[in-house]
Amino acid sequence: MAEIYVGISGINAVDNPGPGVGVARSLHEDPDLKVHVVGLAYDTQEPGIYMDWVINKAFIMPYPSADAEAYLQRLHYIKHSYGLDVVLPCLDAELPFFTKYQHEIAALGIRTFLPTLDQFNLRGKDRLADIAEAIQVSIPPTKVVTSLAELHRAVERIGLPVMVKGAFYKAYKAYTYQEAVAHYHKLVAEWGYPVIVQGMVFGEEMNVVAVGDGQGELLGQVGIKKMWITSLGKIWTGVTIKNERMRDVTANFIRRYRWKGPLEMECMVDGDTVYLIEINPRFPAWSYFATGVGVNLPANIIRKIYQLPLPATFDYDPGKLYIRYTDELVTDMQMFQKITTQGEN
Amino acid sequence: MNRLHQLAINDEGFVFDPTTGESFTTNPTGLTILQGLRAQKSPSQIVEDLCADFEVQPEDAERDINDFIDVLRTHKLI
Amino acid sequence: MKKIYEKPVFIKLESGFMNKFGSSPYYARKIRKDIDGVSIDQLVSQFGSPLFVYSEATLRRRYREMFTAFNTRYPHVTFGWSYKTNYLQAICAIMHQEGSIAEVVSEMEYDKARRLGVEGKDIIFNGPFKSPFALQKALSEGAMVNLDHFDEIYDIERVADAWGKPVKIGIRLNMDTGIHPQWSRFGLNLDSGQAMDAVKRIASGGKIAINGLHCHIGTYILDPSAYAREVEKMVCFAYELEDQFGFKIEYLDIGGGFPSKSRLKGMYLPPEVAISPIDDYAERITDALYRHLRPGDFPRLFLESGRWLIDEAGYLITSVVATKRLPDGRRSYVADAGVNLLYTSYWYKYTIELDREIQGVNEPAVIYGPLCMNIDIIDEGSLLPPLDRGTRLIFSPVGAYNVTQWMQFIEYRPNVVLIGDAGQVDVIREKEDLNDIDQRERLPERLKFDTLDTSHAPTGAVR
Repeated sequence: MAEIYVGISGINAVDNPGPGVGVARSLHEDPDLKVHVVGLAYDTQEPGIYMDWVINKAFIMPYPSADAEAYLQRLHYIKHSYGLDVVLPCLDAELPFFTKYQHEIAALGIRTFLPTLDQFNLRGKDRLADIAEAIQVSIPPTKVVTSLAELHRAVERIGLPVMVKGAFYKAYKAYTYQEAVAHYHKLVAEWGYPVIVQGMVFGEEMNVVAVGDGQGELLGQVGIKKMWITSLGKIWTGVTIKNERMRDVTANFIRRYRWKGPLEMECMVDGDTVYLIEINPRFPAWSYFATGVGVNLPANIIRKIYQLPLPATFDYDPGKLYIRYTDELVTDMQMFQKITTQGEN
Repeated sequence: MNRLHQLAINDEGFVFDPTTGESFTTNPTGLTILQGLRAQKSPSQIVEDLCADFEVQPEDAERDINDFIDVLRTHKLI
Repeated sequence: MKKIYEKPVFIKLESGFMNKFGSSPYYARKIRKDIDGVSIDQLVSQFGSPLFVYSEATLRRRYREMFTAFNTRYPHVTFGWSYKTNYLQAICAIMHQEGSIAEVVSEMEYDKARRLGVEGKDIIFNGPFKSPFALQKALSEGAMVNLDHFDEIYDIERVADAWGKPVKIGIRLNMDTGIHPQWSRFGLNLDSGQAMDAVKRIASGGKIAINGLHCHIGTYILDPSAYAREVEKMVCFAYELEDQFGFKIEYLDIGGGFPSKSRLKGMYLPPEVAISPIDDYAERITDALYRHLRPGDFPRLFLESGRWLIDEAGYLITSVVATKRLPDGRRSYVADAGVNLLYTSYWYKYTIELDREIQGVNEPAVIYGPLCMNIDIIDEGSLLPPLDRGTRLIFSPVGAYNVTQWMQFIEYRPNVVLIGDAGQVDVIREKEDLNDIDQRERLPERLKFDTLDTSHAPTGAVR
């Protein structure tokens, strides 16, 4: 078969890594797919741009927060000047654009595999309570705030410590009201309103990466427990697990809402109680972990899009270990100059 | 101390300062001015250079050169 | 052959700012040479700069789009043009021609609607302050008055006493509809029981009949389902009033707050991504009505949309009068329009279009207004190519609130023009002159002088 040009964003493999490089590696590892990865970057220093063995070609994109028309034009330019068959957006901030403009993107001849706008909005951090009720899972006490007065009330009602979260990204733990206020200001400045305040719940933090096919079925799911996280809360070491309760919650969510596309469920598990902390409508940064244990979710999406046979089983073994490690790359400034001045490498 | 002479400048307008590690970008008119300044030309000579190569009135060129020099000054390059 | 000139730029590459599109000449640069076919050049040479320009075609198109969205789903719908959003006579007249009644929130607006020819019965009178005189006038002319607070009950009962018969009014509610922030300062709170207390008090007085409910949940509401929750609560409350007190609710006024494609500061997503189409709002609202109304009961639905209808029909043309390099290296421009004309720039970031193609790389730039006042900034940072003096910037959407909230501070307010359906351009508000500023002033006789004489200016204490 012909090479498939797949656009992947989030190739910022830094200390708070985007999912892109792991997703790209997964696609390269499918023995039957011939994938050419087109990196979609937002800064000329995203490491993926320089990792030409994973990201075959990279383009700088306009910010999705700036102007939808400019973004569509850029996709169109890439499609025609280079080639772009599929885009797998990997960053939260891009998803409202990609979900809303699915039809326009399809009209450019570029395929996506995403939830509908309604499905996407449903898992907003400020609406978790509705989902929790529908799929019968608990959530920590949560308040959505848009002012300092509301923040104060929320902290008082929930009790310290609390997690203070941005509408799209970032979550900070606050042990004092002053800390909560500082986080609040930081989040508002970067991500706007609202800000979510969540109480702390206790238990083991567990995560699931899964893909729904849009008809209620799974294209695979892998559960993990993070064993060691960095000061930014990012996984460094982890292990695969099979927690039946959590697997059910994920499957229920995908079945009930006919979720299409990747997602990450963040849960706290305390015995039989599963607290749903967050549903991220995209691949997590550790997606390659699932590929490594035999569940290649990015490849399954491409297979589904092109109606190629899916693997016979999505099963995996619990007890497989994941270790992230740092690596270094030395090169000269040429590629940096090129991407800076021309917007592509 | 004039740092202009140490800059590595390529034809695409990428400017690198090897002593500080800072990078800059400029455009063709900016390149002309930079090259003029490096050749110790006076602003009025650079105005002539710009007017010879580009479709521009001397008055506009002069104003833009002054602004450009202001920018170099804020980056402590001159 | 000489090359095309572009202004020289020299930009430091900094992490986080190294996005090609920050400096791209091809993307994110917007050019507008005309508004509805009338060139920016022609508009400015004829009417001056700065200049507010309204598009009648856009205004009517927006009105019809929104009205159709609601009317085809629920025929008992009437729009009340929100005067405070824009009360220029020409604008109001267009709205009334399209079939809208008037929604006013002050005595001045009430008088304005009446003078324009709107009958009292076609005016909705809202707001937290209605003087006893204004209340009396509005009620006697048959206006729909919506009660804002407890104290107004006494004022209205006094009117009923004077008439010797009950007065019909609506009451304004506020409530939790799941949106943030929740507006709670207008009307009576439904969730706490405050609204019901007021109804009980009204019923016990026997001088007022409640025939309508009003609510306005907020502004720039991005979540259409918030309106569904509002409607559900209003309908349930209406039936409580009917069943318990015998008040028949004839209208539900659900307010406005529908967002235009204007970019609220602090909003991460671009408006075209964040905002749902008006059909989504209409669908949720009318669906909630049909689900909760009793069979055969179709109260009139009032909407008081302002921003949604007019914001995108308004433009402000302003000219660059000076360029300045700030000490931190940023480029800045002085424009002939500032916060005196764009009051809403405190909350909104406008789209800026240029009147011509300009060569050169985009640079972060600040745009200042003409006021001798540090806070006069109309754009804190946009990527613009290097602009020459005289370049015109077209700000949009600015149709909502600016020509009502603008301020008279050291400058004359400029012409406001309307481009008609056939391309004709009419001045709908003339540029001010000194008479407009001076005519209400009175200079006491003893302070008048012919020429300024400074020769005997006091140097010591004045006795």
